[in-house]
Amino acid sequence: MAIRIKNVNKSFGKHLVLDNISLEIKDGDFVSFLAPTGSGKTTLLRVMAGLEKPDKGHGKIFYDDVDVTDIPVRERNIAMVYQDFINYPSMTVYENIASPLRVSKNKILEKEIDRKVRETAELLSLSDLLKHYPSETSGGQQQRIAIARALVKDTKYIFLDEPLANLDYKLREELRGQLKETFSYNKKGIIIYATADPLDALILSSHVGYLNEGKVLQYDILDKVYNYPQYIEVASYFSNPTMNFIEANLVKENDDYFLKVTDELKIKIDNTLKDKINKKEYLLGIRAQAIRSNRQTKNDVIIKGTVELVEVVGSDTELHFKYKDFRLLGLSQKIESYQIGNAIDIFIDPSKFYIFDKDTRRLVYRMVGEK
Amino acid sequence: MARIEFKNVSHSFEIAEGKEKLEWAVKDMNIAWEDGTANALLGPSGCGKTTMLNIISGLLTPSKGKVYIDGKDVTELSTRERHISQVFQFPVIYDSMNVYNNLAFPLINVNLPKSKIKKKVMKIAKILGLIDYLEAPSSKLNSAEKQKVSLGRGIVRDDTVGILLDEPLTVIDPKMRGELRRQLKIIQRELNITAIYVTHDQHEALTFADKVAVVKDGRLVQIGSPHDLYSNPESPFVGYFIGSPGMNILDAKLKGSTLSLNDFKIELTKDIADKIGIKNDECQLGIRPEEIISSREKTAGTIPFEVAIIENMGSYKILTLIKKNGSDRDLRIKTRVDINIFVSKGDIVYLKFPEKYLKIFKDNHKIY
Repeated sequence: MAIRIKNVNKSFGKHLVLDNISLEIKDGDFVSFLAPTGSGKTTLLRVMAGLEKPDKGHGKIFYDDVDVTDIPVRERNIAMVYQDFINYPSMTVYENIASPLRVSKNKILEKEIDRKVRETAELLSLSDLLKHYPSETSGGQQQRIAIARALVKDTKYIFLDEPLANLDYKLREELRGQLKETFSYNKKGIIIYATADPLDALILSSHVGYLNEGKVLQYDILDKVYNYPQYIEVASYFSNPTMNFIEANLVKENDDYFLKVTDELKIKIDNTLKDKINKKEYLLGIRAQAIRSNRQTKNDVIIKGTVELVEVVGSDTELHFKYKDFRLLGLSQKIESYQIGNAIDIFIDPSKFYIFDKDTRRLVYRMVGEK
Repeated sequence: MARIEFKNVSHSFEIAEGKEKLEWAVKDMNIAWEDGTANALLGPSGCGKTTMLNIISGLLTPSKGKVYIDGKDVTELSTRERHISQVFQFPVIYDSMNVYNNLAFPLINVNLPKSKIKKKVMKIAKILGLIDYLEAPSSKLNSAEKQKVSLGRGIVRDDTVGILLDEPLTVIDPKMRGELRRQLKIIQRELNITAIYVTHDQHEALTFADKVAVVKDGRLVQIGSPHDLYSNPESPFVGYFIGSPGMNILDAKLKGSTLSLNDFKIELTKDIADKIGIKNDECQLGIRPEEIISSREKTAGTIPFEVAIIENMGSYKILTLIKKNGSDRDLRIKTRVDINIFVSKGDIVYLKFPEKYLKIFKDNHKIY
């Protein structure tokens, strides 16, 4: 295992920020720690990188099976990129990118430095800016310079702490795509990435860890965390936009059992599900992507909604509507106009339902229907 | 409630400084914000949008041109006389007062009777969702609640005709931004007040406003509903800026009815070629990622591209495709494909550009 952390606690004063965290990360993994602000993800990153130490006697950190818990950050051969773009203002872009090579313990030939700087600049589309100063470049370019400095050293362990958070929407979108491409060349290295943005985690990662109050609530490969979120907290946060949750009750009608929200919106509980679903109340989770104003599958559930608010997001339209007493959110993958206050037909794909236990907040079942 | 209008408004800060060489922060701007609508001024930093806001509120008198509110020339009127309130990036509230007194303050200042003040404060607090916080000390509120109090102080007076929001979400915690933005929009609707929201963030502009004015270098580039800007961009800038990812803008050459790009050609129907009006010239082709038809199968009229980047968006994928062409720069294009299309880096994807979606630009203006 390339990075292993074992039973790590970290407190600031009396406040326990990381609560007994254990993780194993392999070579080539791109790991995103996803969580809202204040959940401990930056601290976890800093502890893994060596910028902070775990509480004394509470946890160990291994790089390639070597205990590095007490090895200072300077001796660890890591690179770190921060939320604020940190560059040397008095140096050109070229010199900024070259700087980690110049301070390296092993003297590197000037020719070799030049080759590496140009290669890295090319990778991050900075070739035309090498003679400029950071202040003459845009926010997105400044962050790319900082990332180039992290990549130029050929370090195995790269830590990025919300590198896109301070960029505006369009730059974030551009740089996210570029990071994806850049890191696809870094096959052996390990990228650890902290973010509050579910889209970053979705697009960039191979693995995702969701943090909640200092604990890792779920850690798995991307597909598992996104498609099988084990807790309501994970499902709610790792959805873009946020997931809809509706209360549903287990009822018996004639001889069949249903998980029922309303007469139209109910799920038949067949024999295979009876063991799993036997309590009275559940929460039904539906991603906005499964709720649309046009038919998606032949099994669609159709309900009548009253349009409350329409928001254009990127190239999609978020449709906020009221259905009986529920406020729900649907998403249409194009730009559409709706009249506020109008009643419209809403189509929900029942193969995309998630069933959560209300008490334990855990995922009980995910419907998988035919296409 | 009010209709706000600019007629030939220009502004140069150098005039007041007595300089001879003038630069124009706002250039000959003609624009109207209709009564009771939600609007946005969208543009990059330094485009002149905050100057425009200050001209509306009266903090700045324009070097040239007139400002009208409901048809009345207010160019020379003071901020107070215009009854337009402003919400800034940082909440402006009295930390030492509770929420009730903060909201009541603008009314106490104009000597309104206590019973009327209470009625009005309760009404505004209800709209803002602050009823449960009225007794709370303002210092205990989170940033979103503080910003709501700030907004409440701006709209509590009956004579307020318009509200200007200057990047109001900047200091709000990211996870609360969407919620507050939606509330701002609902409040605007409920009060039916003319609102102008200034931002560099197209996401915020498009979600808040029914009408968005895109400003660049002191000039109005385009004004329209989010839908208009998306489907009918007047320039490559708007095409790329609106939509996520933005419109693909590709260099092309038009000869007769043939568009040549990189190493392939697109034949236009004669009708369209006639409408375009240019016969033999450089131009730019615009098409949105979601309008391109992509397939793994080669069929007649499709053009092969190589997959460079795959971004999985959960319910669909964005592919960045490249086409190498000898010494020329690679052609890069983005498309949006179904989540169930499985491709890997280096695979070949065949594209079709439906004619009905094509836009043609020349010298930064749409010609078709």
